[in-house]
Amino acid sequence: MGSPTWDEFAELALARVRRSGAEYGDIRIQRSVTGHVRGEDGRIASVRDAEDGGFGVRVLYHGAWGFAASSVLSLEDVPRVADLAVELAKHSASIATEKVRLVEEPVYCDRVVTAVRIDPHTVPLEKKTGLLLETMGTLHGRPNIVRSTAEIWWCRDRKRFQSTEGTVLDFDLSAVNGSISATALFEGRFATRSFNLPYLRQGYELIEETRWSEEAIRVAREAVEKVRAPAVQDGVYDLVLDPEHLSLTIHESCGHPSELDRALGYEANYAGTSFLTPEKRGTFRFGSPRVTLLADNTEPGTLAATGYDDDGVECQMWDIVRDGVFVGYCTNREVAPKIGETRSRGSNRADGWGSVPIVRIANIGLEPGEQTLDQLVADVKRGIYIEGHGSYSIDQRRYNFQFGGDAFWLIENGRRTRMLRDVIYHGITPEFWNSCDGVADRSFRRRYGFITCGKGQPVQSGWMTHAASPALFRRVHVIRGGEES
Amino acid sequence: MSLSDSNPWPKMTSRDEFRFLADMIFARSSGDHTMVTLHDERAGTTRFADNRVIQNVDARRGLLTATVSFGRRQGTASTTDFTAGAVQDMVARAERIARAAPEDPEYLPPPDPQPFPVRETAREETIADGPVRRHEYANEAVSLCRMEHLMAAGIVSSSVASVGVAADNGLFGCEIRTEAQFSLTVQAGDGTGATGWSASAHRSIDRLKIQERTLAAIDKAKRSREARDLPPGDYPVVLEPAAVAGLWSWLIRALDAKSYEKGTSPFAGRLGSRIVDKQLTLSNVPNHADLFGVGFTSEGLPSEPSQWIEDGRLKQLAYDRFTARAHGIKIIPTLESPVLSVKGASVGSVRELLKQIDRAVLVTNLWYIRSVNLRDLTLTGMTRDGTFLVENGQIVCPVKNFRFHESPLRVFQDVGVATVPVEAVTPEAGKMLAPAMALPRFHFSSVTRF
Repeated sequence: MGSPTWDEFAELALARVRRSGAEYGDIRIQRSVTGHVRGEDGRIASVRDAEDGGFGVRVLYHGAWGFAASSVLSLEDVPRVADLAVELAKHSASIATEKVRLVEEPVYCDRVVTAVRIDPHTVPLEKKTGLLLETMGTLHGRPNIVRSTAEIWWCRDRKRFQSTEGTVLDFDLSAVNGSISATALFEGRFATRSFNLPYLRQGYELIEETRWSEEAIRVAREAVEKVRAPAVQDGVYDLVLDPEHLSLTIHESCGHPSELDRALGYEANYAGTSFLTPEKRGTFRFGSPRVTLLADNTEPGTLAATGYDDDGVECQMWDIVRDGVFVGYCTNREVAPKIGETRSRGSNRADGWGSVPIVRIANIGLEPGEQTLDQLVADVKRGIYIEGHGSYSIDQRRYNFQFGGDAFWLIENGRRTRMLRDVIYHGITPEFWNSCDGVADRSFRRRYGFITCGKGQPVQSGWMTHAASPALFRRVHVIRGGEES
Repeated sequence: MSLSDSNPWPKMTSRDEFRFLADMIFARSSGDHTMVTLHDERAGTTRFADNRVIQNVDARRGLLTATVSFGRRQGTASTTDFTAGAVQDMVARAERIARAAPEDPEYLPPPDPQPFPVRETAREETIADGPVRRHEYANEAVSLCRMEHLMAAGIVSSSVASVGVAADNGLFGCEIRTEAQFSLTVQAGDGTGATGWSASAHRSIDRLKIQERTLAAIDKAKRSREARDLPPGDYPVVLEPAAVAGLWSWLIRALDAKSYEKGTSPFAGRLGSRIVDKQLTLSNVPNHADLFGVGFTSEGLPSEPSQWIEDGRLKQLAYDRFTARAHGIKIIPTLESPVLSVKGASVGSVRELLKQIDRAVLVTNLWYIRSVNLRDLTLTGMTRDGTFLVENGQIVCPVKNFRFHESPLRVFQDVGVATVPVEAVTPEAGKMLAPAMALPRFHFSSVTRF
């Protein structure tokens, strides 16, 4: 007799849930394989191959949730875990003041597979380590470079979602990434410059299509230029923000406030709430008329484009901010009806079999405008062009933010002139987005993914992609980060 | 209803079972050296918000990791499947990586076998009472808040883990570790975003002090209503222990020895020098009953008491094994049970401390702390869940939350009155013992809207 199949395990769990009298239940069975090769200071510091498998059962009983999970996928543990999830739900129900009601969603039977041209697991390790060693060699070939990193990461998730409503979904999802960094030392001061691939749902072709050598030469040169650059002077500047930098600004100042569970207080004890409270929907001016922020979980290659979320809801596209006005939230089947919506936006995700799904930021992107990047810069008398991610911090209602960046160039009279260091800008979210005075056209649009978005207790890592074209913001407060010379 | 009776916890990997698994791995590995780690954990959290349970979760995850080396080449593989076939596959994967990996100039064989200290890392009541007690505690916190017409959001969590490390040279350690945690944010519900917060964490679920912590969070939330605007600028402050711990967690992270040697550390060239006020001492106290001391680390090193900063002087760096060996460091210190103390401090509570304050901003907690400049360790972040103006020994009014822009290496140069070290728990910094302190100058760079 062969080992039980995922079909049999799923049926076994859901049969126990149905018998308990629960109104809803689902099971996610998952097996993930993650590879990571990490170089540091010219050596391969670690090569890891992680296999992570298990299952989680979620139960809604008399309007209250229970969830149990185990890495032991066996005929003994599946019923134990299913029964435990039911009992936890019964306990939750015993102190419930309000019943959870799930908004309707059609039943699906489907299979979602990431289109992969080159399977990263089949690429010889020697090829990966050789690429990283050569890249770090290039970085260290430049005087003043004292530290380096270079890494390649890949992941494949095989998952079954099955619910008591009849939905059966199979997933075979992949993602790949790589990055480089160089740290330069000059007169006791140090500065780091980095290059990041965009975390896409692709195969190893993403790594092969990248010009690592050219990027390493540029990163090392700019790290040295950055450490020698003058510190910024405090003041008010116009800012031109590149797509990678904007991906983080969008994530923190628009993405998180648009999560409806936060707006309803679910995250009050940790990640925080949101200034975008439900009564503001449809009327609140979030940004200037140039600002349209679109959630699109259907764009191929992006991290949240998984076909369906962990509620079994089909991925969708919708507006968060349209022409500057806040109009929509990221939701799941539980919170959507609380604001009168009749369907979930399909943004309920868990970071693995052992976690319960929670509302997550969608692939939210800034819609392109009509100018070129040169036209945006030409329109700036005194400003700063910012690339990449640096320091970031924001309050728990997402009003007061502060961002750094990875590289900064002074803009003088419409021209990008020289590099600066230690640039920090801060503001209040709606005031900042209302200062947006231009977005470059679609030809400048780039996508950047996130896989470490922390939320929930126990904390989970969310995955999503934010796309943008460069954008211009007027009269932003800039301060110098740090006091040393 | 008894969850523990009807749904007994699954049996965790025992010391003998880990030894059996490790021996099986060593027998199947053809590497020059093989090292194995175990982390088999079951953990549960009852999470509540809006005065009701929103999540009630319980998960068991076992993880085995093997690192195999051939000469200076090594590879690491892991699995959550403990069946013989999966374990054998894990060894084969680690071997394949090790054969194909380039030589690592920093490779070191596993540490020599040595006896690890035996610590009280597990409490029976935490193992026995998981889901039931979590419900009781959540209910207690929610009920107290309901009585005050306030909204509770928080967690009660507990876990038990079997943790092991072994190598084919005879190195072996295995211990059970328990943890329990409570944290609570009370929303005043006045539409202005006023909140109060408190938290606790302990190896024993009996020691979470639910009522005391809940009443403290309620008090903060009620006092936080109708916060006033204060302009940004430099203020004298009183930092409560959680806020102190938040800043010190970043100072501790920056103690990395490799960065120090490469010149990319804020402490570069300052080992042995005074880096903070001479009243301050930072120690590792793994035997302290209120901290999360362990017997050994995942690298197979023992955890021992050590001093990192003594009378304000930097005495110790956080070494990896290669850097330690290169610098002749024989005993590598660890810092998983930090205690920060102020010499001569005898004040027992924040309330007593405030009596000695003429004027200051009292900060309950700091949030979203991030590095702005690693060269001088300038950090930014927000005050959160209870920020008040203190005048003439009394809390005068709540104030809107500030963003700060400061370096712990600047603000802790001059420490005023302080309390004895007490429990400090934050989601960003973990747990340490730290005092509340008065500091003469702290830079708040902007104000938010609540």
